[in-house]
Amino acid sequence: MSEPAVVFEDVGYAYEEAPHEAVSDINLRIEAGEWVGVTGPTNAGKSTLCLLAMGLAPHFFGGKLRGKVTVLGTESRAIKVIERSTDVGLLFQNPFTQISGARERVHEEVAFGPECHGVAPAEIEARVGEAMDLVGISALAARHPLDLSGGQLQRLALASLLAMRPKVLLLDEPTSQLDPAGTAAIFEVLSGLHQSGITIVMVEHRLETLCELCPRIVAMVTGRILADGAPQEVFNREVVQERVGLPVYTRLARSAALPAPRPVRLSESAKAFRTPIA
Amino acid sequence: MPDISLEKVLFSYPGGVEVYPEPGLTLALESGVTALVGENGAGKTTLTKLLIGLLRPRSGDINVAGLDVSKTTVAAMAKTVGYTFQNPDDQLFERTVKAEVTFGPRVLKRPPADVERGVAAAIKACGLAGKEDVHPHDLGLSERKWVAIASALASEPSVVVLDEPTLGQDYPSRQRLRELVMRLGSEGKIVLVVTHDMDFVGEACPTTVVLSHGAVRYAGPTSNAFGDRALLKEAGIEPPHVTELAQAIGLRQCVNEAEFLATWRR
Ligand SMILES: Nc1ncnc2c1ncn2[C@@H]1O[C@H](COP(=O)(O)OP(=O)(O)OP(=O)(O)O)[C@@H](O)[C@H]1O
Ligand SMILES: [Mg+2]
Repeated sequence: MSEPAVVFEDVGYAYEEAPHEAVSDINLRIEAGEWVGVTGPTNAGKSTLCLLAMGLAPHFFGGKLRGKVTVLGTESRAIKVIERSTDVGLLFQNPFTQISGARERVHEEVAFGPECHGVAPAEIEARVGEAMDLVGISALAARHPLDLSGGQLQRLALASLLAMRPKVLLLDEPTSQLDPAGTAAIFEVLSGLHQSGITIVMVEHRLETLCELCPRIVAMVTGRILADGAPQEVFNREVVQERVGLPVYTRLARSAALPAPRPVRLSESAKAFRTPIA
Repeated sequence: MPDISLEKVLFSYPGGVEVYPEPGLTLALESGVTALVGENGAGKTTLTKLLIGLLRPRSGDINVAGLDVSKTTVAAMAKTVGYTFQNPDDQLFERTVKAEVTFGPRVLKRPPADVERGVAAAIKACGLAGKEDVHPHDLGLSERKWVAIASALASEPSVVVLDEPTLGQDYPSRQRLRELVMRLGSEGKIVLVVTHDMDFVGEACPTTVVLSHGAVRYAGPTSNAFGDRALLKEAGIEPPHVTELAQAIGLRQCVNEAEFLATWRR
């Protein structure tokens, strides 16, 4: 078996001057090519998990790291974030954070990352065109990044990331500002990347979406992992239902007193609701 | 007279993008909770900023709760309209949650007793009790969003305009938001909620406006908003999850969970 993409071993992390750790006792092993959905209520530590995997915590945020975070075989303490960013891409929760501020046009912004990493110009051009096309912003290529609507800006942030061709994608609510059609289109893109072997770790609040897409779900609460497994298994656990919530379909099945285990996806749910209760 | 009205509003950004096509945007809203939905770049945020006078139309009339927006300053509009930006960081600048939430009513020179009441109620309704002394920037994005909402509510405005309040919110927070907007609606306020979360629209907003490429494509009861597939596609919308499930099992259209369960049991 090839080396795992992301490994957390007994990880705890406290931000600079914070009285408590933001995450604690994190043990997580993500194989290359997995698509893992991370969810949990506010302050569960989901974004921190992403920052740790990227190495921004502790390299940029300071603070105190316990245990080991290893991505693609290299421990985070042993590699600079800029080096890591050749293989690992992080999409920030707030797309505004992602924009370099150094470029005047959308297509230049997408080229910024590859340029900084010395990718050849012809290659950059190809990547930029492809990335803008994938996220549906080709028509906005000549616009100023800061003149975009919120959703357009989030698409730009994702395009910039894809232009780097990372092997591991860390996506913190990648479609929070996208319209539903745009969301579906982005998930198509991610499905394609997943099929080509890219590892995806994706933070998401829309549990229905997570269950449709991710074969594995990590549910977090107050800085710890509460459950880790297949969607159906995770969302049928009472603690998860209570502390993280549950997909619409599962909640409806529970309200209708359909038998457990309850469905987490549309197709299973339709089947369960069609079956007469004995 | 409707509570909010726009008549043939034309607007373009200095960059030159014409947001609402000729003959301009015309729309009337009554009190209660209205969802404003539509694809990225449809012109939703622009519309909300026009309503509070932050952007000025090139032509056309805008009236909000009896005020002619063109004749009213942004500061004066703030007495009537509580507003939150799509990105909370565009509006938060005080050093504690309490100071941030108090800012609005204080600047509006509300009597101290009103300020205190409004601030306390807003902090409670937004789930920020116990976080009054925290620096907003030490909070996560979704909580900063709540600070922004609390700030909009603290001066007890009769019109509340929220740009993507559901952004980044977990399920309990969406429930709280739903209770909050429904309460404001039942108090007779005008509440306009921009969102991409159609489950939320079905659960919390009796009326829906669909904006697509700058034009109003639907304005009416939410229960009928998800019937026209072609329109939905054009406006980048997908129906709520319950609507999809109801359709999959051959039930008549439902837009929220209560409706679904009632229909299914029959
Ligand atoms: N500051 C600006 N300068 C120039 N153009 C802008 C500016 N802000 C928005 N636009 C453009 O105006 C149009 C409407 O944008 P608006 O922000 O109102 O969309 P929206 O419906 O709120 O979209 P989203 O769902 O992505 O938030 C878009 O084409 C957008 O690119
Ligand atoms: Mg907007």
